[in-house]
Amino acid sequence: MSLPQVVEQLRKIAGRDAVLDRPEDLMLYEYDGGIRKSTPGTVVFPQTTEQVSQIMRLASSVHMPVVARGAGTGLSGGAISQPGGIVIAFSRMNRVLEVDVENQRAVVQPGVVNLQLSEHVSHLGLYFAPDPSSQKACTIGGNVAENSGGPHTLMYGVTVNHVTGLEVVLPSGEIVHYGGKPAESYGYDMAGFFVGSEGTIGIATAITVKLLRKPEKVATLLAIFETVDDAGRTVSAITSAGITPAALEMLDGWTLRTIEAYCHAGYPLDAGAVLLIELDGLREAVEEQAEAVSAVCVQQKAREVRRAKTEEERALLWKGRKTAFGALGRVSPSYYTQDGVVPRSKIAATLQFIGEVSQKYGLTIGNIFHAGDGNLHPLILFDIRFPDQLERALAASEDILQYCIGVGGSITGEHGVGMEKRNLMPVLFTEQDLDVMVSLRNTFNRDNVLNPEKLFPTPRMCREVSGPARHPVLAQEGM
Amino acid sequence: MSITATPTRFAAEVRAICGTEHVVESPTENICGVVPSLTVIPGSADEVAAILRFANEHRMTVVPAGGLTQQYTGNRPPQVDVLLYTSRLTEVEHYDPGDLTIGVGAGWTVAHLSSKVAADKLFFAGDPPLPERASVGGLLAMGLYGPHRHGYGGLRDYCIGVRFVTGDGRKAKGGGRVVKNVAGYDMMKLLIGSWGTLGIITSASFKLFPAPRQTQTFVSCFPTAAEALEFRSRILRSPLDPMCLELLSPQASAVLTPGSPAAAWWSICLRAAGSDAVLARYRTELGSAVTHEIRTGNEEGFWHAVANFAPTVRERHHDCLLISLMLPLADLAPILDRTAAVAESAGLELAAIGRVGAGHLLVALWPAADMKGVSLDFVKAFAALRSALSHDASMTVLHGPEVRGQINAWAATPTDVTSMRAVKQALDPNDVLNRGRFAL
Repeated sequence: MSLPQVVEQLRKIAGRDAVLDRPEDLMLYEYDGGIRKSTPGTVVFPQTTEQVSQIMRLASSVHMPVVARGAGTGLSGGAISQPGGIVIAFSRMNRVLEVDVENQRAVVQPGVVNLQLSEHVSHLGLYFAPDPSSQKACTIGGNVAENSGGPHTLMYGVTVNHVTGLEVVLPSGEIVHYGGKPAESYGYDMAGFFVGSEGTIGIATAITVKLLRKPEKVATLLAIFETVDDAGRTVSAITSAGITPAALEMLDGWTLRTIEAYCHAGYPLDAGAVLLIELDGLREAVEEQAEAVSAVCVQQKAREVRRAKTEEERALLWKGRKTAFGALGRVSPSYYTQDGVVPRSKIAATLQFIGEVSQKYGLTIGNIFHAGDGNLHPLILFDIRFPDQLERALAASEDILQYCIGVGGSITGEHGVGMEKRNLMPVLFTEQDLDVMVSLRNTFNRDNVLNPEKLFPTPRMCREVSGPARHPVLAQEGM
Repeated sequence: MSITATPTRFAAEVRAICGTEHVVESPTENICGVVPSLTVIPGSADEVAAILRFANEHRMTVVPAGGLTQQYTGNRPPQVDVLLYTSRLTEVEHYDPGDLTIGVGAGWTVAHLSSKVAADKLFFAGDPPLPERASVGGLLAMGLYGPHRHGYGGLRDYCIGVRFVTGDGRKAKGGGRVVKNVAGYDMMKLLIGSWGTLGIITSASFKLFPAPRQTQTFVSCFPTAAEALEFRSRILRSPLDPMCLELLSPQASAVLTPGSPAAAWWSICLRAAGSDAVLARYRTELGSAVTHEIRTGNEEGFWHAVANFAPTVRERHHDCLLISLMLPLADLAPILDRTAAVAESAGLELAAIGRVGAGHLLVALWPAADMKGVSLDFVKAFAALRSALSHDASMTVLHGPEVRGQINAWAATPTDVTSMRAVKQALDPNDVLNRGRFAL
């Protein structure tokens, strides 16, 4: 079947206005929040699970690669299509299907925007806990695929800890259910396994998530330090003191000055680093913890500990953190965000190493990260117009991730492996570890139609079924 | 080509892998009444892999075992060639108290793990029955939990890494040793609660929590289950954030307190952690519903008994039918009602206990008078209960010697069974692990 024929079939399935195939339209779907690009052959916007099933059946029968896409905010290339492949975009499956207050659950379609769900249930005193920085745009379907986190995952966990049930369309087109509203289900935990499988097992078309009760009290502190070292040490001192904050974020001096110039959050301009610490829960407990945390910070040489007095002050402190990436866009044409994780006790040493990497490659690296769980986001600044800078940025990033693995950490805490980190997987996992994972993928995604060339290393680095053969028509059309 | 290895031949092979002193050829233990041909205690993941490769090649059947606290669950296996103990897998992979994580071999007992981290004022949230015997591997494989489930989540929330050997002998891992990690498939989720049918867990890493400095238990009594559950819902709607929130039926209280007559009350037992000010707040919020408080010092014994409900009820009523249910929160009241009605009409006694803030319920049924014809009553009660479940509830039979073979242990799951079979096929294609015990 030729590409135009496939497009025609897709229009029959999803409607004439629900398929894009003009080059100028497709350009909008050739990138995500990462640094890779690839142009799809067509983009389809299903409105029902049944349509997704028909699309998968069609794609499998003609061996065309498929990738599901939410808002395209991912940072690892997870939503990038194979050249000439099919993008299934979920912006028209964006309804909250059910809010079940008594069972503390919501059932949503994959295209629902993360923050919109919390806003939707806010009047009930409830919210959805995973809060990626992109939560104003990113979708819950994408959160499920990448197992996304956010600042508050320190206390509340990542997406998998908040998903109890899924409706999934398998590559065969079959519609299946995993789990449901109960917190756990007997039988294999297929829902838990599916979350974070980066779109390589199936496509979630309905997602049952936990809704949490909003905390009675929230305290937000800003602890200001002269050096990054002092701030780094304070992180493990806080957890060692028996306190688990809801969020514990760190920004280094360079980053907070850049942010301050952009959004005037009130960050100190002369600090070496700050910790943004949030405590929530029962009023009495929060007050005690806020005092205890302040004491630990002062003991660890904090110059000052400020506490947000009003909701506006709190929102401003968080605005700085959450718009950091936008602020960096003002000072550098391109930046490359990494997502390494290290054990908490290795944070100070890792920051020192990142400083050395910055000097070695002659690139500015800002540090903004989820310090409480050791999840670093070094931001490597470069100019993509100069190929040598891109190369140095990639090399610097690989050095940092290798270091993370060396101290017992991981290459991704919440962004996923996607395209960009898959060649580091053999450093983290043995060939047999990967072989077991690939055998599971092949069980569900036998012909590798669904999101090929993601997550696992290229065939020469690890035995796997290679991606579907390029469709002859695509090859002819030079796609 | 003959693929069946004779007992003598595989005993020699297994001895060659693990050393003669770690192989017993005439074991005395049995798995649901079936005596294994031999038992083996491998000393490393490599030895586990070598045994499973051999077993896979020869289509043998292997039962993984830890402290034998849960081996009564499941159907009677047609045969057991090898009973494989993980008790020599006791390496500490990593432990730095400052990281709040630990990685240990599957052979560690849960009690050992808990006491090791308690020395550093840390807390391991796993609280299965019989922690002095229950192994870390068994805890994960059976997906066990106790009262801490309410405040700390399930194993799926705090197990952060796992090493295992697949049924066909491949050594593999998932996750790692850091608290946040999304690289690769989440193999922990597949292995937790897989009942030893996908792989043999050789070690695991966990998130730890700061140990609570002070706790207190508040007990509130109600004449009916419905009122007790309404009180639970009130707590769930409040800002309170307890460690444990447990429902005990009148008979369950009696089971846990030997010698005492069945109380008339349904009780909600809430355990809170915090300063004096925090505990005072609990007292205010819970108000006059609280009948009595159990203070630090006497609490441990009480909660230990609650966690041990399953073995205790089995000891007191050997032939009881023990069912575990995972339910949407709103279903607990109607399901308890239905169970009580079923028990009454069949002349069965009923004890129920559960983490009712998390939707978990453990139900034990036994005959009020003599055992005659009880298996039929059990089958009927089971069928009635099963038909009352909503589509996304799940149910397992943990124990039921009278009905073994008539009731499948994995009795109801909302999860697509074809997908589960596909996973089994990918990891244990020759059905080496726990063959015949847990039909999918």
